[in-house]
Formats: sequence, structure tokens, C-alpha cells
Amino acid sequence: MPEPIYLDHSATTPVRPEVLEAMLPFFGPRFGNPSSTHRWGREARVALDEARERLARALGASSDEICFTSGGTEADNLAVIGAWRAMRKSRPAVVSTPIEHKAVLAAVHEIEEEGGVARLVDVTADGVVDRASFEAALGDDVALCSVMWVNNEIGTVQEIPSLVAAAKARGTLFHTDGVQALGKVAIDLKALPVDYLSVSGHKVGAPKGIGALFVRRGAPITPLLYGGTQDRGRRPGTENVAMAVGFARAVELAVAEREAECARLEQLRDSLEVALLAKIPDAVIHGRRAQRAPHVLNISVPGTDSESMLMALDIQGVACSAGSACQSGSIDPSHVLTACRVPHELAAASVRFSLGSLSTDAHVARVAELFPALIAKARRLSGLMTG
Amino acid sequence: MSRVLVAMSGGVDSSVAAALLVEQEYDVIGATMKLTCHGDELPDRPCCSLDSVNDARRVCDQLGIPHYVLNLEKAFGRDVMDDFVQEYARGRTPIPCVRCNTFTKFRDLVAKADAIDATLVATGHYARVVDGRLHRGLDPAKDQSYFLWGLRREILSRLRLPVGDLTKAETRQRASHLGLAIVANKAESQDICFVPDGDHVKVIERRLGADDPSLQPGPFMLGGRVVGEHDGFARFTVGQRRGLPGGFAEPMFVIGIDPATRAVLIGPRRALLGRSVFASEINWLDTPPSVGDTVLGQVRHRAPAVQATVVSIAGDRLELAFAESVSAISPGQSLVLYRGSQVVGGGIIERASRMLPVAPAA
Repeated sequence: MPEPIYLDHSATTPVRPEVLEAMLPFFGPRFGNPSSTHRWGREARVALDEARERLARALGASSDEICFTSGGTEADNLAVIGAWRAMRKSRPAVVSTPIEHKAVLAAVHEIEEEGGVARLVDVTADGVVDRASFEAALGDDVALCSVMWVNNEIGTVQEIPSLVAAAKARGTLFHTDGVQALGKVAIDLKALPVDYLSVSGHKVGAPKGIGALFVRRGAPITPLLYGGTQDRGRRPGTENVAMAVGFARAVELAVAEREAECARLEQLRDSLEVALLAKIPDAVIHGRRAQRAPHVLNISVPGTDSESMLMALDIQGVACSAGSACQSGSIDPSHVLTACRVPHELAAASVRFSLGSLSTDAHVARVAELFPALIAKARRLSGLMTG
Repeated sequence: MSRVLVAMSGGVDSSVAAALLVEQEYDVIGATMKLTCHGDELPDRPCCSLDSVNDARRVCDQLGIPHYVLNLEKAFGRDVMDDFVQEYARGRTPIPCVRCNTFTKFRDLVAKADAIDATLVATGHYARVVDGRLHRGLDPAKDQSYFLWGLRREILSRLRLPVGDLTKAETRQRASHLGLAIVANKAESQDICFVPDGDHVKVIERRLGADDPSLQPGPFMLGGRVVGEHDGFARFTVGQRRGLPGGFAEPMFVIGIDPATRAVLIGPRRALLGRSVFASEINWLDTPPSVGDTVLGQVRHRAPAVQATVVSIAGDRLELAFAESVSAISPGQSLVLYRGSQVVGGGIIERASRMLPVAPAA
């Protein structure tokens, strides 16, 4: 078996050595609870405050605007439900898109369950928010717009600055799920007037189980958890000091390396894309005509199916993904591709390669050989079965 | 070594099957079929639950082999569950496991095997393939060959049934020896996987609606006389005693169902006896017998195989005459033909000709 190739960085990334090193003292001697008054507590508190400040600085925010969470899902839930609950009396509606992560879509669904109004706007075939549909959904009854910055399945980048401007003009709060944007697009919260931004650690080389929500000063938020006064009461519970420290370090690195790494990934991604299209001319690259993050390549080949392709690739050592994995581990059809009106047969054939820190020229070269060969075989079989 | 795709339910039989193939140095790949939604399930189900998928994954991890979850929900709903409720609605008693084997496991799963160059497929069934022929499992208490007659014949050469040579007790022992503690003492799955509480009526209600004619009241008929009212013929199956009106000199059984009049026909035990059976959708797993040949015919999973003579074969239809009378031949169940322990073929029972006339509904 050849060397395994990891092309699923949008699912998760390995913890960076620098991050692990930064965290280690907090699993050892510096184990204190930041709320304690003694030396152990003070030491932990200082580390937590520093982490908050460093994360804030990396994003162009102030440290009091950073609320650590257990990850992207909690950050999305807190923003969407927390903002809506604070505003619901005067503004019962929320506006979002059908291509959001489930952490936002399920939160929007919960708002409907609680008596709110949900409006999902249209997206184009390339997964870009339809501007007219977005404008039409805005109104004086809208508490919050939530639009993801970079789509996790197809990599499409939304026009967040102009969407924010449109929402602000109607007095509406704006949240963006920036989990896939972090380290991939320039984020400067001084310049971009969003009210809330979600980020997650494990997509950028920090461990799973840490994330953060940026909450702009003055933006309303009702906490989801009840307990102590940690994090200004926005997020009770003893803080995860070690992971907050690791997360801050990971984000600093990701932001510092962003331009060079994005250029590298884009070149790798584009060369893979060109090679695959040359060998499979009728392959469909989702989101290709839109602005795309540099690391995602989502491809459907007619006459194949995701499930068989992922198995065949995995057996050859290549890890990638498709759609959204359900809790059993089976693949359900992608709600993102469905919302982009991709025909069912094509959506059920999609395979997502997502590049990142582990990706090399050699990996891309091998997949450029292997994938078309597996596709050719799958098509022979499906031809046999239907023919 | 040849690559083999093993269908793994998370139970002890398929886990041991996979382990034995690993022992025999095959290139083994485990797969669990997701057949129904795992959203609103019962936690204590022995198979098909989310826990079972997790168990299968853990067993594969322990064996050092890959594991995949295959989403066959849509095809299973169409090929197995839809047929299941439609058969009940026609007054018949289906066996979904037969169709699951025929379509889901040995057609759809085999297609997945093809996609990953697995020349072989394996399951934890208690049956054996010997020289390309299908035989009963060695453990008479566990033999599952009755459910496998619908396989395409050409699959047999690709099929491995590693626990078919073992008794259930031996399988559990092997599981313990192999250190498969997760599954060694797991409870046996008895029910139909999508009818976890044994109440098939709920499934019919869900898929056909509570107002389906098969769930509406109708008469109990005894020899052309109305002797009571039932609340839906889909609740009854030929040979059933439970839920019938009482007050007769001898015990009464369901002897037939007439969907046109929604009548459930009842009669004494001797009215269940049949001497010949008509079956359709016949599938052969070996050279078919000729008219006049003697075979063994089995009409239920737990019934004995009875000596019989082939009366006629026309296309995929067959009539078989038993040497002795056979009780409770039920339309929708399978007729399986054996030569000794070998499965020669099988089909779906359409009707029986009874020793006593079954009075039609008035």
C-alpha cells in the first residue's frame, strides 16, 4: 500500500507541533482554574487573557469581543439563537441561506420551533447568494442575517462586505460563519462591520473542542448556557485554558502564513483541477465560476457515485469526503449541492478534495493519476449495469 | 490474496465471518448496510441500530480491516419494505429477509463489491457453499438456507459463508477466542429489522396509511358463515390462532384471507392441511428438476422439508405435490426445493390445494 494521502483538510487538520508545545504546560504544572484567586488560578487567568488578546489581535478585534466556545457549532448556535432571542420581541425573523453548515441551519430551525420566522434566500448554481433574493428577504422584522463566508463543501466565497452593508442599512445584525474562512481569506474585523463571526480551532491546526465567537461591542447576545459568570456571562463553565492557548497560537500562525499558504494551495488545487478535467472532460467542478477558497475542489463525474468512489479511494490510501456524513457514517446527499440545483444524479456523485498543510505536489500528482483511473473503472461497471 | 467484502451487521455471526476470513488471509473489507433511518430508533435493537454500526466498526478496527457504511436506504425501501406492505395488503404473508438477500445483499451490495475490486462477498449466514452449490448450514437449529433461494446463480462462485460450518455455540466460542468481546455475547436478532417490536401493522399504517383496506374491519367466515368481525385482515396470517372468535367445539385457525371481501376464513386444524403448492418467481440455483422428479419441499423457515413430486414447470411457475400433507401453506412465504441438504431453487407461494375445500367468502 502506497503512502496514505490526506485530502480532507476541510473536515479537520492535524494539531501543529507549535500548538501542541504551547498547550503542554497547561496539561502539566499550569493546571489552575482561571477563576481561582491563588497563584495557580492567577497563572491560568493570565494565560487565558493573553490567548484571548492574541486571538483578538489576529482577527482585528478587541479581546473583550472574543468568546471562547467548544467549537464552530457552539459559536454558530450562540450567535444565531443568542442574537435572535435578544431581539425577537421587536424583530422575530432571521435570514440565512440553504447552503449554511448544519450548525446554522439547525439553529434557524430551532428559531422557527420557538415561534420565529426563517427566510432562506436563493443561491446561484455556483453557490453564491442571489443578491435580489437577499434584498427581498431583508426587512424591519429581521433580527439577524447569517451567511457563511466560505462554504465548507464547495469553497464558494460570499460577498460578505456588501451583504453586511445591505443588512446594516436595514438595521439588521449580521453573523457570518467563518469556520472555513479562517486562514483562507483576510479577516479584519476593524474594517468589516459584522456583529458576530464564528471560528473553529481544528480546521487550522488546533485541537477539536475549541472555537470562538466574535461578538462586537454592543451587539446583543443571550447566553445558551446557564451557570457562572465566566466570559462576561456569555459562556459559563470553567474555561478550557490549554485549548484557548493552542487556538490563539494556531490562529496567529494561520494568519501570518495565509498569503503564502493560500498561493501554494491554490496552485496545487488548480493543477489537480486542470489534470482531472483534461482526463475527465465531462466532470463538473462545483462552484467553479464563482470566487472560491483556494483549498477546495468538489467534483462530480456523471455515471459514478460518491459512496463507491470514497471507498475505492480510501482503499488506495486517499482520504477525501462527500456530502455531509450522517451519524452512522453513511453519506447523505449534500444539501448544499441540492440548494445549488445540481441534479440528483450529479450531487450523488460528488467528491470533495480539500487541501491543506499536509498536501504536496506528489500527492496531487498521484491523485491526478489515480482518480481518473478509478472513475474509468466505475463508469465501465455502471455501463455494464445499465447497458 | 483475493479481496472479499463482508456484510457486517454488528452481530456475532458476521463479525466471526470477517474474523475467519482475516485468519484465512483474505484481503477483507467490512461494510454495514444502512437500510433504515437511524433517527428515531430503539436503543436495545440487536441489529441495524446505530450502536450496531458502531460495533461493526470497532470489530473491523480490532481486525485491522477497513469498514464502510453503505447507504442502501432508498433501494431497500423500494425493493423490500414497499413489497412487504403491499403483500400484506394483498392478504399474504411476506418474508422481507428473502427479498433483502435477493436484492439488497446479493445485488446492491455486490455492485459495491465490484466497485472496489472485491471478487468475493461474504455474510454471516448459516448456510454453506460447496463446489458452487448452496447447502444448508451444519447447525440444524440455525440453518438459514431457506432465505437464500433468490440469489443469482452466478453469485454462488463469489460467495463465502464462513460460519455455515459452525454451530451457533461454536461461533460464540470463536468470537470469545478471537477477543471479539463486543459481540461475543450479543443477543440474537429475531425480529424483522424494520419491525423491531414485532408489530408489522405499524409499518403498514406508516407506509400505506391507517385507512388502507387491509386495516379496515371485515368478517370472520367459517364455512361460508359470518362468525365475527376482525379489525383488519393484515393482522392475520394463515395458521394463526391468536385473535380469532371463540366458542367452537375445536380450536380454530386462519385458513385463508380474501382481500376482495376483506374476509378472514377460519377453520379447524385439519383444514390447514395441503397436499400441493403453486409457486411463482421460481429461481434455480442448480440444474432444475424435471416434471415427475422427486425433491424435498419446504414451505416455512421452521417447517421440515417434505418429500414431493414436481407436477409442472412453466416459465417461472411451478406446482409441487407433497407425499404427505403439509400444514399452513401461506401465500407470500417461500417454497424452497432441496436435494438432500442442497438448495436447488425456490419461489414465492401463490396458493395451496387443500385436503378440505376452503369455502369461499359468500
